[in-house]
Amino acid sequence: MNKVIILLTLAICAAIIFFVPPIKGLGDLAKIIFFHVPTAWVSVVAFFTSAFFAAKFLREQNYSFDKLSARAARLGFVFVLLSTVSGAIFSKLTWGAYWNWDPRQTTIFVLILIYGAYLTLRAAVSDEKIRAKVSAVYSLLSVLTVPFLVFVLPRMYFSLHPSPVLNTSGRVEMDSIVLIVLTAAVVDATLIFIQLMKRDLSYNRKEPT
Amino acid sequence: MTKLFACRCEQIAAIVRKDFIVGLRRKASFAAMMMFALTAVASLSLSTGGAPIDPKILAAILWVVIFFAASAGISSTFDDEAQAGTLPTLKLYADAQAILFGKMFGVFASLTALTIFIVPIFLVLFDVAVEGGLLLSTTILLGVIGLSAAGTLTAALTTSATVKGGLFPILLFPVTLPIFLPAIKLTEFAFTGAASDSSLLVVMILFDAILVTATSILYDYL
Repeated sequence: MNKVIILLTLAICAAIIFFVPPIKGLGDLAKIIFFHVPTAWVSVVAFFTSAFFAAKFLREQNYSFDKLSARAARLGFVFVLLSTVSGAIFSKLTWGAYWNWDPRQTTIFVLILIYGAYLTLRAAVSDEKIRAKVSAVYSLLSVLTVPFLVFVLPRMYFSLHPSPVLNTSGRVEMDSIVLIVLTAAVVDATLIFIQLMKRDLSYNRKEPT
Repeated sequence: MTKLFACRCEQIAAIVRKDFIVGLRRKASFAAMMMFALTAVASLSLSTGGAPIDPKILAAILWVVIFFAASAGISSTFDDEAQAGTLPTLKLYADAQAILFGKMFGVFASLTALTIFIVPIFLVLFDVAVEGGLLLSTTILLGVIGLSAAGTLTAALTTSATVKGGLFPILLFPVTLPIFLPAIKLTEFAFTGAASDSSLLVVMILFDAILVTATSILYDYL
């Protein structure tokens, strides 16, 4: 599996450098979008993965679910930081400012805060059993903000952020080569996430939490 | 069923009464919350020196002060029991939901007292003319309900933490954001008298309900 991911990643990098046409008026740096979209996707996936394992832990009291939940959150934290930085660079190129609290930027920032708060809470509680319970409860509590961020916030503030590829009008407003490479990059990032989630389990080593 | 419910009401009332009496004996955390709010408002008003401030920013300042003062005051909601190790004993006498709602009512009462104390001072010091008094009171009430629900559960989460400094507001902020942002908007409308957006009130009511329900469900697992 590792080899497949490495090959796919290399192929995508090559495609981005050689095949994707430069974006009009933005130059080569705008190709950071191929990094931004997949990392943003994974940071959201990791958030729900963490909450899913938290719920599973609370139901079954199996501590390996707690470890998975924590690992998803740790990975998600890394991905959300990468996504935010790459998004800010792209925002500077297209909107002229690194940060302007666009609803999407607010959403990703809240995600950073939630991940940060979750990991801080884990670090602050020393008793393993209490830590597992407390962090699972917090993980589920923080999921409650999702409907607000998705449905309410975009209505409260005007957004400049382009719609996702699968937008409501059902149209794909992209070159086919761009779309293919972007989809491949999203799949690749998801595979990397899954592989990282699995890795520590198969080695079954004792990890610091 | 009604008997069970009535019995729970009694338990809730007993918890509130107990916390009130213990609180009277040790007024420190309540006084700290009030003084924190007063200091924050005074320092902001003093440092801006009477310069005209946009209603939007005034509304934001008011809620930031309420949020952090509330954090300072309610983070220790479960600490008395945790330090004395009496929470398991309390759970023998009353059921978990009664403890939760008892604590929540206590938090709600102290946050209501906080806003009754700080909002008039804020309005006077910043010389704000309130156009929609009813809207302002409703917004604050809804905001306080949400803060008490999320705050009580967060306080239960942080009691067992070894590092406490600053942890409570870090955890509380993302969770209360869905009531925090509409509250700021509505407060701005109340200050300017602009036609208010009733859908924002609906959002706040909805999230208050969600937070109270979720807190009640999740507390059982702690």
